[in-house]
Amino acid sequence: MIVVNTETLPGHEITSSLGIVQGNVVRAKHVGRDIAASFKNIVGGELKGYSELLTEARREATTRMLAQATELGADAVVNVRFSTSAITQGAAELYVYGTAVTLKETAPAPPPLPAE
Amino acid sequence: MAEFIYVSVYFGGPLLLLGLAFFAGNAIAKRHENDMAERQKTVAHMDLSDIASFRKPEISGPPPLLLNSEVTLGIDHFRGFLGNLKNIFGGEVKSYQATLDRARKEAILRIQEQALAEGCNAVANLRVAFVDVSGNTTLKKKASMVTIQASATGYRSAE
Repeated sequence: MIVVNTETLPGHEITSSLGIVQGNVVRAKHVGRDIAASFKNIVGGELKGYSELLTEARREATTRMLAQATELGADAVVNVRFSTSAITQGAAELYVYGTAVTLKETAPAPPPLPAE
Repeated sequence: MAEFIYVSVYFGGPLLLLGLAFFAGNAIAKRHENDMAERQKTVAHMDLSDIASFRKPEISGPPPLLLNSEVTLGIDHFRGFLGNLKNIFGGEVKSYQATLDRARKEAILRIQEQALAEGCNAVANLRVAFVDVSGNTTLKKKASMVTIQASATGYRSAE
């Protein structure tokens, strides 16, 4: 499955749209991580716990979206967008959505012009 | 003597913390900046744009793919303190600005590095957004960290 956040795909033509596919996840870190982060926060720097929290949420949400797309028999998901919302402290919702489409390969482009 | 101990404990603790935050925070920020400048060289040749279309894509190449990155940076105590102070008088709050800037740079750099690792040489449709993980903004608490999420599409450009 091809997944992109652009509207088109090079070398392919979109033959039909199967509608919106989406996935959402709300994730929280355990309280130990929150406490560790608050200590780290005194001096700044990357708070890996929260970066990971978001990465995990994004992976999970994308997997759910792709499962929907597979069910619809899509070849690709285009124009994928991410959106997040804060539910409570230390928890985040990640919502991902895109358009499931079927593809047809277009004729290969003419050979590039010879280099000067 | 008793007053002296009381005063030094009462003011000394927070001041010590501020001092620690100032030196350690600056060192961490500096190291991060240097590290990013070094990594920037490896991706400098890549085409990076936020345009939603591909520039001279290689048709026969591997299909384009979605790239993501997330970065959370803490705002150290000292910068937070400065920011709060500045908030009283208003104006540009540079201490927060620098951290936000660093987080965005890092997120974009990670996207480019990921693209390079996947065999792409160009990145299109870059989107960068601020994420409220901690709920600080909605709860009207002091913002103590910034989270940036970036997404883009990596592809092979014939250029």
